[in-house]
Amino acid sequence: MKQNDDFTQLQKLLQLKRHETPGQEYFSRFVDAFHQYQRREILREEPWYSKMVEVLFEPWLAGIPRLATVGASAALLVAGIAFFLGPVGPNSSQLADGKVAHERGIMVASNQSDDSAQIQPELIETAAGGEGTQLCPLYVNGHGAVAYDSRLAF
Amino acid sequence: MSVTAAQLPDLENGPTDEELVASTVGGNLASYDELIRRFQSRLYGVIYHLTSNHEDTNDMLMEVFDKAYRSLPTFRGQSSFYTWIYRIAINRTFNFLEKRKRRQGAMSLNEIDEDGLPKFDMPDPVARNNPVKSSMLNELQNKLNESMLGLSKEHRTVVTLYDIQGLAHAEIGKIMGTTEGTVRSRLHYAHKQLQKSLGIYLRR
Repeated sequence: MKQNDDFTQLQKLLQLKRHETPGQEYFSRFVDAFHQYQRREILREEPWYSKMVEVLFEPWLAGIPRLATVGASAALLVAGIAFFLGPVGPNSSQLADGKVAHERGIMVASNQSDDSAQIQPELIETAAGGEGTQLCPLYVNGHGAVAYDSRLAF
Repeated sequence: MSVTAAQLPDLENGPTDEELVASTVGGNLASYDELIRRFQSRLYGVIYHLTSNHEDTNDMLMEVFDKAYRSLPTFRGQSSFYTWIYRIAINRTFNFLEKRKRRQGAMSLNEIDEDGLPKFDMPDPVARNNPVKSSMLNELQNKLNESMLGLSKEHRTVVTLYDIQGLAHAEIGKIMGTTEGTVRSRLHYAHKQLQKSLGIYLRR
């Protein structure tokens, strides 16, 4: 009972926040200010990804049923996983002993014979094109391959 | 103390929200102005109590009405316009809060609105003319805002909609896309948290 009483006091206190308003003058000018805002917005070009973000996060606003969004998101996720875990594609070139240079700058040091998927520094150095080059690891995939982004080399 | 959308005073006369929506979609822009007038103050309140900043609230409110206007053709009337536009406002404000958090970390009390816009629109003329009382009210306001910002955005939203705006649990559930039970449990937790941080003021 005491707790209920305390909540009542708290609620009275919170109701004070109803008075935190910018005043009637602000609201009487708001519609005009909004028209000006709309005119500015018409001239501003929306970034290409804004529609995609809306479809993903506010599908109900874009008039898309929730189920369709869930299905599309699941399909995208599966495609993404398949891309990262799948075999190295035709856009890559084999260097030596399972080392692969991908055209987008990702170096993959394949280590399929070794179950431990340990990183072999000398393998990486060779694949990166020079001794003393260090690469930042990106991920270890299910086949024991380790990927590095050569753009992060220093 | 709770009211439903149907009971709100400015919805009692004139065309319904849905009629105004249909009229706007049909090309009558004045109808949308009327919808703005109906909701501007309440949406301002929701956004402001989530952001604690008048300038951000003004920007967000413009964005919300603009987004709603552009999306009106997709509004299918599955929920009321009232619920729909509240959802837009809350979703957009949540996104904004996430961005603000990433940009500047958690908001400190010093960053709470200091932009010169009126703070408490003091209802009590005595407080307005009494510097001591006025100062106490400002201190209380700061403490209230600080405590509100200490809550998660979901908890802050239920407190705003229930305690400040006086909506019913069921209405809040529809707006937030959750059950009435979840709303009640969030409210209870939020009250306990606020009680803890505002305890000294509650005992005065």
